[in-house]
Amino acid sequence: MKSSRQRAIAEFVLDHLVWFMLAVVLIAFSLFVPNFFQIGIFANIVEQSTFVGVMAIGLAIVIIAGHMDLSVESTAALAAMVTGILFCSRGIGLGLTLTPEWLVLPVSLLIALSVGAVIGFLNGVFTIKLGMNAFIVTLASYIWVRGLVVAISGGRSAQDLSPSLRVIGIEQLLFVPLIAWIAILCYVIFSFIMGRTPFGRHVTLIGGNAVAAFRAGIKVDRLMFIAFIIAGAVAGLAGWLLAIRTSGATANLGTGMLFNAFAAVVIGGVSLKGGVGKLPGVYAGVLLLSSIHTAINLMGLPAHYTQVILGLLVLAAVLLDTLKLQIRQRFA
Amino acid sequence: MNRIRRLLTASIAIAAVGIVSPAFAQSKGKIFYMVPTLLDEFQTESVAAITKFMGDVGYEVVTLNADNKTDLQQSQMNDTILQKPAAIVLAAVDFNALAPSIEKARAAGIPVMIFDRQITSTPSDLTSVAGTIEIGQVAAGEIQRLLKEKNGAVKGKILQVLGDPADPYTLDIQKGFEDKMKEFPDAQIITLPAMQWEASNAGTIVSDQMVANPDIDLIFLHAAHLSVAAVAALEAKGKKPGDVMMISSNGAPVGLDLIRKGWLNVEVEQPLYAQAAALAMFADKVVNKQEIKPGNYSVLGLDSVLTTESWGPNIKIPGAAITKENVDEPRFWGNLKAPADKIMPVE
Repeated sequence: MKSSRQRAIAEFVLDHLVWFMLAVVLIAFSLFVPNFFQIGIFANIVEQSTFVGVMAIGLAIVIIAGHMDLSVESTAALAAMVTGILFCSRGIGLGLTLTPEWLVLPVSLLIALSVGAVIGFLNGVFTIKLGMNAFIVTLASYIWVRGLVVAISGGRSAQDLSPSLRVIGIEQLLFVPLIAWIAILCYVIFSFIMGRTPFGRHVTLIGGNAVAAFRAGIKVDRLMFIAFIIAGAVAGLAGWLLAIRTSGATANLGTGMLFNAFAAVVIGGVSLKGGVGKLPGVYAGVLLLSSIHTAINLMGLPAHYTQVILGLLVLAAVLLDTLKLQIRQRFA
Repeated sequence: MNRIRRLLTASIAIAAVGIVSPAFAQSKGKIFYMVPTLLDEFQTESVAAITKFMGDVGYEVVTLNADNKTDLQQSQMNDTILQKPAAIVLAAVDFNALAPSIEKARAAGIPVMIFDRQITSTPSDLTSVAGTIEIGQVAAGEIQRLLKEKNGAVKGKILQVLGDPADPYTLDIQKGFEDKMKEFPDAQIITLPAMQWEASNAGTIVSDQMVANPDIDLIFLHAAHLSVAAVAALEAKGKKPGDVMMISSNGAPVGLDLIRKGWLNVEVEQPLYAQAAALAMFADKVVNKQEIKPGNYSVLGLDSVLTTESWGPNIKIPGAAITKENVDEPRFWGNLKAPADKIMPVE
């Protein structure tokens, strides 16, 4: 029998394991990777975490709710392309302008969120209303939405995004670009929603045991539907940010981000079985992945190693998850 | 019951959206164009160019997109062979992996023309290329010039951003470039790949490297669309046009725009229109299995050399370095002004 103090310490460490991993990795890279230890690199890591990070929020919510959403990457790409087509002035951009000019910012954001929400809504209709498997439905969305990106762009790119939008990608606050602050703000808001509101608690309950949640009077279908729409809308936001970062959109924008988002979610401690996981952990997972990407960039290692390391990291995270259960039992 | 009805309705609606019924006109026959991907502007425009030029000489073009997947392109080749087209135009996803498919098509009596991505491991009926290795060499020449102008000699730090490291196209450009740079040991080259040719990956590389190596003189990106993200990353670091020299390759419209804005110094063009036009000029000879004579040919005004190589007739069309001085010339495909004149078959 362990003392309550020992148990509390063990629980704290286990609950925040990914943050400890992040700290260890950052210290190791700072010591051994040339040019790593500097403010600019840490700012880059935070900035580069923006897109996968925001995408991972929606993905994590759906997974915590016990489902799956493979469409977030393509949804982000579609939102980016729509933003690019409407508000870029070169390539296939239509160069839409609004008066006053700052209106471009809220209008484009609203459009991107709406594009994402529509895809999330469709995923919800097929999964919740028609009872189809979420994996298959969102896999189909992953394919057809990317196809739609190619179709509406004709494979061409849009560039030269409106300066009213680009300002978010260029201006900095405390060495960190505004887009990264938006991602951090998203994590604060959604962490609050998931941890402190009935919606978040109910979604977690549904993921743990949907039948029990239903019997407890929770509107399972309604909340699940909302979770899919949120995932879509947040992916739309990720796409909007991506368009701002790259000052436009190409048909392959965001390719490969789904894998990183999944890796971050798993490393961040979200159980793929549903019902378990916290968003701050997911953000730590995203930061960890970005740190590794950056270190590999600085070391000049062939990028193939990134994939190997990421894969091993996911495996290690799952192993740690199993170990956590055993350690918890020992301290119980 | 309601659920089943809804499922049926949804299935019918989806099927209706997916059905496409193309209308075909009469022609000398169908030529299948196996495009490796439609996710970049060069390939997208190549579809338009090949369709137009082959149409000029009487062929109808059907395009199949392999989505950068070798296995998918192999399957498409198998399916196409069964349809017995007049010819196949292949821009291979993987230069070597498609060799057996080419052999299979030719054994079935279907001529195969190679577009843009040269395959030397097996014979084909005509190859029309600018040469990916040559693109790297042209870029190296331009980079040597720029470094000399800036530093007084070919010395300095170059960041080379490849495309996807699994794509032989980018590896060939790298080879051509690095071979030519070997004789200049004072030019340090940092090479990193943008996985899956994804633009934000290139932006990330530039962003990190500008912090770790702020003395980078020049950035060489293997595709114009990567330059856009690189420029955005430079802008975010407070850089202005001209602060860091930049070169990219393929000559896409985005690259030409960046030259006009002063960000890009040089864009090494792949002469897309001429490469496509050359195929159309010789299409009748290829389809009718007539001899293609080596020699000098003018393809859309570009002096091109046709040679007989171990892999068959090979027409090489020179790529050009696009700079601020010549960026507006309509001959560059990045200006998207496809030649209106009809292509005439070679007699």
